[in-house]
Amino acid sequence: MHEGGIAQSIVEILAEVKEQNELSCITSVTLKVGKMSGVMIYALEFALEAIKCEEEFIKNTKFNIISVDVKAKCSLCGREYQFADTDEMNLLCPDCQMPLSIINGKELEIVDVEGK
Amino acid sequence: MKRIVVEKKILEKNDDIANQIRKTLDSNHIFGLNVMSSPGAGKTTLIERMVEIFKSKYKIAAIDGDLDTQRDAQRIAALGIETVQINTSGACHLDSSMVYKALNDITLDLDLLIIENVGNLVCPASFYLGTHKNVVLISTPEGDDKVKKYPTMFNVADVVLINKTDIAQFVKFDVEKVENEIKELNPHALIYKISALKNDGLEPFLSWVESNIVSVKNQ
Repeated sequence: MHEGGIAQSIVEILAEVKEQNELSCITSVTLKVGKMSGVMIYALEFALEAIKCEEEFIKNTKFNIISVDVKAKCSLCGREYQFADTDEMNLLCPDCQMPLSIINGKELEIVDVEGK
Repeated sequence: MKRIVVEKKILEKNDDIANQIRKTLDSNHIFGLNVMSSPGAGKTTLIERMVEIFKSKYKIAAIDGDLDTQRDAQRIAALGIETVQINTSGACHLDSSMVYKALNDITLDLDLLIIENVGNLVCPASFYLGTHKNVVLISTPEGDDKVKKYPTMFNVADVVLINKTDIAQFVKFDVEKVENEIKELNPHALIYKISALKNDGLEPFLSWVESNIVSVKNQ
């Protein structure tokens, strides 16, 4: 599982945010994780809980993870399709038989941070 | 209490280094190919076939990612090309900083750089390495239910090779079903049915590789 490495990258970015904004601790963080990002939310939560103990400034941080469904658009007719479950995903437009391009669902981002 | 809008990609650092690798490949006119699959799907055998065919015509090097041992690098180096083994000591994928470091040990007078990723159908898909194209193998003994179980991997593939098709009937692998599921997840992917071990069905894939080598060379 690579969620440990992802959690490490998150902490590195948070340390930068903390320095730049002269915070002493971070109270909450909002993350966006797309269903096609290859990251499992449960495993990421587990990794973040484990890594929290290692750094004083994130000891009591609350991580809010927003799961993003896959949304894709037909390049020909412009219709958009949303797939809550990647199992049911079909990236061919049922009307035009053209490939759909993914608009959402690959996110792996830090949205915002609260701290003091 | 302060609220700070960050809006930053978590893997931005990986992507930055990968973009530097891409620049190095482009400025040296080297076609970079990232080969991914589960363990045992035939990545090393495929690379051996590519090297056997192309080594008289093109300058090739390989970077080999494994948790441990030099076994794969030894197999590829035995064919007479420069090979660097990366041992990830537990990490389940290659990231761009590992490849960047390995590139320092390679002479960049090359036409083709093959990166054999760690055998894993999940994690390597999330880490861009700066290569031009991704090849994903799925082999018939793994079962024909794998494509939809690992959607991210099949979505990032430029080419999917269905390997070990010579034994598909013995392991009840429905090739047509797998092809359809790949098309659903990735309508752009080229799909070729091969047996790397028997050297069967490789021609269309090898000409795809060659056309990429030539186009990057002439960039």
